[in-house]
Amino acid sequence: MRRKNIALTASAGIAAGALGLTSLALPAGAQDPNLPRTTPEGLVSSVLDAEAPAMAGTVTVDNDLGLPALPGTGDSGEFLSAGEQSLRVWSDGQRAHRMSVQKDNGEITVVDDGDTVWKWDSSERTVVEHPDVRQRAEAEGSGADPAELSRHIVGKLRDSSSVTVDGTTSVAGRDAYELVLTPKPGERTKLREVRIAVDAEHRIPLRVEVEANGSAEPALRAGFSRIDFGSQDPGLFRFTPPDDARVRTEDPHGDAERHGRAQQDAEGPEPRTTGEGWDTVVTARIPAEAVRGAQEDSRGGKSERNLRAVLERSGDPVNGSWGHGWAVDTSVGSAVITSDGRVVTGAVPRQVLIEALKEA
Amino acid sequence: MNGMTSRVELPSGTRRRESAPLGRVIRAELGWVLRRPRNLLALLGLTALPVLIGTVIALTGTPAAGSGPRLLSAMAGNGLVLPVFSLMMTQNLLLPLVTAMVAADALAGESASGTLRGLLLAPVGRVRLVAVKAVGVLTVVVLAVGLIALSGALTGLVVVGGDGFVTLSGTTLSLGPALGRVALAAGWCAVQMAAVGAVALAVSAMTDHPLVVMAVAVGGLIVFGVLEALPALEWLKPVFLTADWYSIGDVLSDPIRSEDLLTGLWRAGCYVLVGMSAATALMATKDT
Amino acid sequence: MSGSTGTAEAGASAPASGPEREPALRTSSLRKTYGRTVAVSDVDLSVPRGAVLGVLGPNGSGKTTTIRMLLGLTEPSSGSVELLGHRIPEHTGRALPLVGALVEGPGFHPFLSGRRNLARCAAMEPALFGADTGTAVGQALERVGLAEAADRKYRSYSLGMKQRLGLAAALLVPRELVVLDEPTNGLDPAGTREIRRIVAELHAGGTTVLVSSHLLSEVEATCTHAAVLQHGSLIAQGELNSLLESGGPHLLVSVADREAGLEALRDSGVPARAENGALRVELSDRDAPEVIAGLVRAGVDVYEARRERAGLEEIFARLTEEES
Repeated sequence: MRRKNIALTASAGIAAGALGLTSLALPAGAQDPNLPRTTPEGLVSSVLDAEAPAMAGTVTVDNDLGLPALPGTGDSGEFLSAGEQSLRVWSDGQRAHRMSVQKDNGEITVVDDGDTVWKWDSSERTVVEHPDVRQRAEAEGSGADPAELSRHIVGKLRDSSSVTVDGTTSVAGRDAYELVLTPKPGERTKLREVRIAVDAEHRIPLRVEVEANGSAEPALRAGFSRIDFGSQDPGLFRFTPPDDARVRTEDPHGDAERHGRAQQDAEGPEPRTTGEGWDTVVTARIPAEAVRGAQEDSRGGKSERNLRAVLERSGDPVNGSWGHGWAVDTSVGSAVITSDGRVVTGAVPRQVLIEALKEA
Repeated sequence: MNGMTSRVELPSGTRRRESAPLGRVIRAELGWVLRRPRNLLALLGLTALPVLIGTVIALTGTPAAGSGPRLLSAMAGNGLVLPVFSLMMTQNLLLPLVTAMVAADALAGESASGTLRGLLLAPVGRVRLVAVKAVGVLTVVVLAVGLIALSGALTGLVVVGGDGFVTLSGTTLSLGPALGRVALAAGWCAVQMAAVGAVALAVSAMTDHPLVVMAVAVGGLIVFGVLEALPALEWLKPVFLTADWYSIGDVLSDPIRSEDLLTGLWRAGCYVLVGMSAATALMATKDT
Repeated sequence: MSGSTGTAEAGASAPASGPEREPALRTSSLRKTYGRTVAVSDVDLSVPRGAVLGVLGPNGSGKTTTIRMLLGLTEPSSGSVELLGHRIPEHTGRALPLVGALVEGPGFHPFLSGRRNLARCAAMEPALFGADTGTAVGQALERVGLAEAADRKYRSYSLGMKQRLGLAAALLVPRELVVLDEPTNGLDPAGTREIRRIVAELHAGGTTVLVSSHLLSEVEATCTHAAVLQHGSLIAQGELNSLLESGGPHLLVSVADREAGLEALRDSGVPARAENGALRVELSDRDAPEVIAGLVRAGVDVYEARRERAGLEEIFARLTEEES
């Protein structure tokens, strides 16, 4: 009998351990919190007016955009085409930020001390120093930080959307309102709605979900998986390049284009926007060599990094009075790249882009 | 050599006890584990590995950026990375193999050589036996992990030098905190191996064939690796013991990237609980 | 190695102190099944203190399974075991320190020396205190004649040496009960004699001994009691003498006229037959004098009457035949 009792007690231990493991596989089922009611307008304006608090957090980006891996788009391109990514962000609530992304073979850390932006790549052991560029820091951060991203979206879309508050939710253990932007009738877009979870206390967006027509799962979800508000160690926002690292100082203006291109799929000099709201179309220009035929490649043979090769593989050829090009459709938008290097893209069906090309 | 007079006189019956003192039993167990030639060879081999890696890197230089295994490219001029890299490399196969080997000997091996009966007849209580065996396995795990970390750190210091270690985040640490990071990685790795050991001990209590234990433990890790690669089983991934094993490199970030490490600890803790409970249950009802 | 005989009577007549009223070992309705196979069924065994019990039975008769249940290595499917007054397997901790056992052959680690192996056993012995362990190991090694080979690796031992080391482990501390499962396996005649000597010593010291064997001569030579197992059932047990007695004692009677003698015996209902020119009379329900008196009364001349006892072998053969 005693041995059976031991076995029974031990079985309880097995069950407890199994339960502990299960808790890892199941998402934490937090109840939607009870919060005082708020109007959509009040919520939107409080978001736009809110001051960024000091915080540290981890952002998880879950990307189902269905973009083909595009060459030459750098870190941000890699970031956009990957399935799931997480990055750590810190802010002192004033001017300084820090962000760090883990890569397969190391880490990229961006430190903005308010005056200078440092970008450290551990696998290359290089430091890139951008003196005196505020906007660069925002550009670096905007792809990732759900707060920035959502502010941007809200600012752009509030006029062409019906804005509602769809109850409450819980993000990273924080109580939040769910702000929903739905395109007004007449907007020609592939998107169904954009949902933004807004922290009830600090009024900063904690999560943004972009939902496309015909899909139950969000095409893009970027949100905090962990966030702690409160003052941060000032040491986090200082950066001293290691002794043996290669340090390169960037001219504040010289490489604007290079980085600009990294932000979008292929954004050339002077990108132009047409339309407003949800059916905004961005027209840009990339060097025509990039879409030159593979046979003209100086090295001979098709190179993986040749944009044209990628387009021929994953795009549809399209023709019209405007010329010849390839269309790429994703769940949230489309892009057309012409053989002479014009790029039009937007969260819209392909026809809208072709109309934009005709008008140009 | 007279049989009758050669007996040990028992102290009076008032000092009768039901089990030998725990300390003595554990000392005997450790003496047994650490006298086994193959255990000593395994520890020696694991200690030599970081020296080997460090020497190869010193002679040939690190591979070009972006190629080669994770962390390897960060190793150039960075002694702090070598022990952590060594732990990461051995953690996938060699350390679990050694852990499973010791756990296999602990119950299945003793059963196969007929010595388990002797222990139970002494008697060593069955629950206590599992505990003592767990201490034995844990000791080898801690020794193995500690030796790798130590020899890795020493090799790193000799090959690279001891002034300033660069974290993955680009900050520079002095020697003390740098060694702290290495110790943290070693401790974390030891907990993961303890989880392997606990499960192996449970299998060891189930069978009389030490090879079965090794096969199940190492095979299980390989199966985890295969299943992890299947997108359809993504939801199941958090349950796999190996899910966060690469995050041992997170100790090299500054500040330490602690989320995956903590999840990994919790997971390993669950495995230890399941493994030890199963080992106890199986041992308590085992026919020997 | 000279056995001590001086203390034999003293030990046998005055067993060691303690609450020795209850038997050293008692089982009731002990049963063990593996799936549908019945290994041991309804064994009611009782071994008095100080006895040397020989457990007999062919290979596969359930001897080892029974012994493993007695020692708490295997849990019975049903029934109960009382070892030295303690219930098994609930109170193995109370009983086993007083029990030395060699079950299913010696089990040691080949990479350790005999002494280290034994020291490991000694460390686990509850009955050994502190510094006693070293002494106990040395003395046990001497007792089984392994003192010179003590520091050789176990893997270099011969079968006999391994068996002796197993015995040494069982005899590390003075025991109230020693269980030896097939102790003479692999031993040469000299080794077998030594085992006998050690069993005799233990018996003389008042220790209860349980020896299992498939060798009948072994049991006949060393045991005071015997138990016979067949197909998992206990088919006979008791003092060796009375068991031999019960195993068909008979009278060989030389008479002048065999025919007349047989007739006379048949008339009075005594089973008898002619054998080697004499009459063999079964003494199942008559005493020898009664038989002789009956023959004389019937006018048969009796020249000689000799009482004969069956060997254990004969009894065993008869018992196992009856069963099967």
